[in-house]
Amino acid sequence: MNFQNLILKLSEFWASKGCLIEQPYDIEVGAGTMHPATFLRVLGPEPWRCGYVQPSRRPADGRYGENPFRLVKHYQFQLVIKPSPIDIQDLYIESLMALGIEPADHDLRFEEDNWESPTLGAWGVGWQVLLDGMEITQFTYFQQAGGIDLAPITAEITYGLERLTMFLTKKKSVYDIEWAPGIPYGAVRKQEEYEISKYGFEVADTGFYQDQFERSEAEARRALSAGLVLAAFDQTLKCSHTFNILDARGAVSATDRVGVIRRVRDLAVACAGAYVESRKALGFPLMPPPEPPAEPQMPEEILS
Amino acid sequence: MSEFLLEILAEEIPAGVIGTARKDLLQGVAKGLAAERINGTFFTYSTSRRLVLVAKDLPEMQDDAVLDVVGPPLSAALDKEGNWTKAAEGFARSQGVDLGTLTVTTTPKGKYVVARKTIEGRPTTDILADILPPVIEKMTFPRMMRWGDGRYNWVRPVHSIVALFDGLVVPLTVFGVESSRTTMGHRTLSKARLIITGVEDYFAKLRLHHVEPDFIERRRVLQEKAESLAGEAGGVPAHAGGLVETWADLVEIPGLVCGSFDPAFLALPEEVLVTSMREHQKVLPVRSAEGTMAPFFLAVSDHTTDPKGLIVQGNEWVLEARFADAKFFFEEDLRKPLEDRLEFLSHLQFQEKLGDYRAKTERLENLSDILASQLGKEDQAVWALRAARLLKTDLVTSMVREFTDLQGVMGGIYARYQGETDEVWQAIYDQYLPASAEDGLPRGDVGAITALADRIDTLTGLFGLGLVPTGSKDPYALRRAGLGVVRILLEKGWRLDLRRACEAAFALHGSLPREAEEALSELYDFLIERLRFLLDKRGFKYDEIQAVLTTDCGDVTDALDRVTAVAAIRSQEDFVPLSLAFKRIQNILVQAGGEIPEEPVPGLMSEDAERQLASDFFQAKFMLDMLNEKRKYQEALRIMASLGPSLDRFFKEVMVMVDDEAVRNNRLSLLRAMRDNFSRVARFNEIQA
Repeated sequence: MNFQNLILKLSEFWASKGCLIEQPYDIEVGAGTMHPATFLRVLGPEPWRCGYVQPSRRPADGRYGENPFRLVKHYQFQLVIKPSPIDIQDLYIESLMALGIEPADHDLRFEEDNWESPTLGAWGVGWQVLLDGMEITQFTYFQQAGGIDLAPITAEITYGLERLTMFLTKKKSVYDIEWAPGIPYGAVRKQEEYEISKYGFEVADTGFYQDQFERSEAEARRALSAGLVLAAFDQTLKCSHTFNILDARGAVSATDRVGVIRRVRDLAVACAGAYVESRKALGFPLMPPPEPPAEPQMPEEILS
Repeated sequence: MSEFLLEILAEEIPAGVIGTARKDLLQGVAKGLAAERINGTFFTYSTSRRLVLVAKDLPEMQDDAVLDVVGPPLSAALDKEGNWTKAAEGFARSQGVDLGTLTVTTTPKGKYVVARKTIEGRPTTDILADILPPVIEKMTFPRMMRWGDGRYNWVRPVHSIVALFDGLVVPLTVFGVESSRTTMGHRTLSKARLIITGVEDYFAKLRLHHVEPDFIERRRVLQEKAESLAGEAGGVPAHAGGLVETWADLVEIPGLVCGSFDPAFLALPEEVLVTSMREHQKVLPVRSAEGTMAPFFLAVSDHTTDPKGLIVQGNEWVLEARFADAKFFFEEDLRKPLEDRLEFLSHLQFQEKLGDYRAKTERLENLSDILASQLGKEDQAVWALRAARLLKTDLVTSMVREFTDLQGVMGGIYARYQGETDEVWQAIYDQYLPASAEDGLPRGDVGAITALADRIDTLTGLFGLGLVPTGSKDPYALRRAGLGVVRILLEKGWRLDLRRACEAAFALHGSLPREAEEALSELYDFLIERLRFLLDKRGFKYDEIQAVLTTDCGDVTDALDRVTAVAAIRSQEDFVPLSLAFKRIQNILVQAGGEIPEEPVPGLMSEDAERQLASDFFQAKFMLDMLNEKRKYQEALRIMASLGPSLDRFFKEVMVMVDDEAVRNNRLSLLRAMRDNFSRVARFNEIQA
């Protein structure tokens, strides 16, 4: 099992379960949750089944490509299903079997692990899934997003792709896993890890990012007042990522930190509210068509 | 008698709440049945996915109930001839009883007609069907969740309900799930759908399908396996401290594996290894017979065996990855001395309005110096200053960011590695002690001084902001901080004027929204409540504590000495008259009110008894002042008690509230002098006879 096989198998498996396969979002995000296919789609009554890979950036986790486990940018396979089906755990275990994991050979456990994102005004309840003691998946029932209590509830499953590949192939360094036959992950990504770490910690111009934060925030507000929620959300994501860069750099003072997080959350909350309204205005296009009326019964006399 | 089985099969329930859930379920069902006059014997069981209740000795039917319904007054129910009236007929009809069965009851309001009705008992199974859904649906958990369409709220989604009364399904619906006789075996070891016919069958089938439903049995097996597996590895399991219980809640079947790791990792500080294992991986370290760390660990597994060795292999891989991570942090952290980390503390907020940790560090340096001198420990001041300066620097190390439980401990280890003195590194290491009732104190004086400074800084700052704990809300753990302060002083036997120390700490904060006097008086009361709690835990009686705590207790060690003396002496015979006399003195002084002169004058004393008391007291006073000064409170109390007879005589022979104002005031002032002097130790009027 190599890295790309894992992605292909997971995509194939969830597609076979009726999930739409999306693609990574084209703005830097800290986690697959921030992709509009999760953060916005969990809102409102429309059903949604979707999976995608999302490269996720966490500037503070940068280790210059030297740490065998930590990456600035790692890849997640994210799956969301709304409403959460009652057999979601069984489906998840089936997806592991699709990866060649025979559950009866392992210790598979769901240990409580709840999730909260102050910048998104979101939280959920769930587990980390442990396979032989290794956390391979984060499993969350979304309860709130953008400050809105959710109903129906979305089940979110996030596979950490590098860890999972490392574990399945028992490699001691992420750079040693195989991406494609004959091509190790390190050959593809090690230099990038070095560069983004070095850039983030030493080179990035904090003034530039502080400026960008202010401008993206203003732009998000402008887009919102023009009724363009998706554009506003893009700028919100930029704010969030810019904040992460500044934070990793130690350029956000303690007193500012709380305030900045609140500013991002305010945008996320505004986007969430506006998104629900815009879907409503469109008549919730993804709602299933109403059940067709029962076939009218032919009066008996006509039949005879 | 009948038996009942209830199984709620859900998705994995958080380990920490299962025990409480079992208890709540049992109480809810037992209470609900008792309210319906049904009693039985109840047992609960659980696994990571199941809550199970078994009831035995249940009646098949609820007992019939006899109900007396009071009707119209007798005067309205009988006419003059003694025949039933229309009103009586109507009442009997409405209650469905024969007119002839009506009886009469006498109440304070007069005589009334009574209809005695028999309410037939219902089948127990019907009653179970009524009470179970609300009991289960209304269970509360620390963190609830919704699922699916979002309609239901419980700890995790519910999958099935087995409810069998003597083997027959009790029809009921919980969260939209209908009860049945079907459940599932182990999630990965059994694919079978299990058809259950009764209680005995349930346990047999579950066990056959790799589920041990009894928490106690799982715990026992895990404990036994831990000992035998560690023994095979040539060691013993390390102190488990609740981990075996957590394990038992995490699984359906009690499996345990023993893995090993590269002994090279044993070069890491033991604290780091143990935290990685216990807190992060929930595995238990193995120790050699000599108590040193062995390169083995025990990991729980929801599996009967390890068929392909993958479980051990996986756990070993994860643990070594954790250790490698920790080693990376450790080596990286050691490259930068703690001193150089001070500047980064300004990026770390202590409290929104109290500034960052750099500012806190400056206050801690000042306060440690002040406390060292207030405690008469000037010789430790230089170490206390150094420790205070480095105290919080580990908060900006990679290790503590990753292993937050190791804050303090890690700073101490780094300080040791970089060659700080024992006084300094131990003070940093021990700074959060005591964190709980089981914890000891910081091992050295320097550690105790900086630990006091840290807590007093936090307390004065937050009280200055008005962020005082209320009810169950104590987000800054100020109660724990307060307990820490009092415990350190008591157990060190240190004398510190807490008011003075807090004033100094308050001033170091610069401007705070509240006035010092108001905030500090509230803080004083708060600390006295912590003192009360600790005295109570030491077994002193309520009134002994109260007698001392109603006096000034800014010096808590002195307060402890006084409570100890009061407790030791109260059982002695002459103490009771003293306490009674003190009460009389107090009552007279309160009644008299007004200004009372401080010193009685001998010339105004006319009675023998009065003169004798004054002379006895003033002779004693000299001794009392000396003994109090030396804090020999038991001896002081004995001397006070010896004044009992002359006090008695005084109250028998002397009238205090005489008309002559000069004489009256002179007598009052003698009593006042005695009260004030005795109150230096305790207010004896609080002591119950």
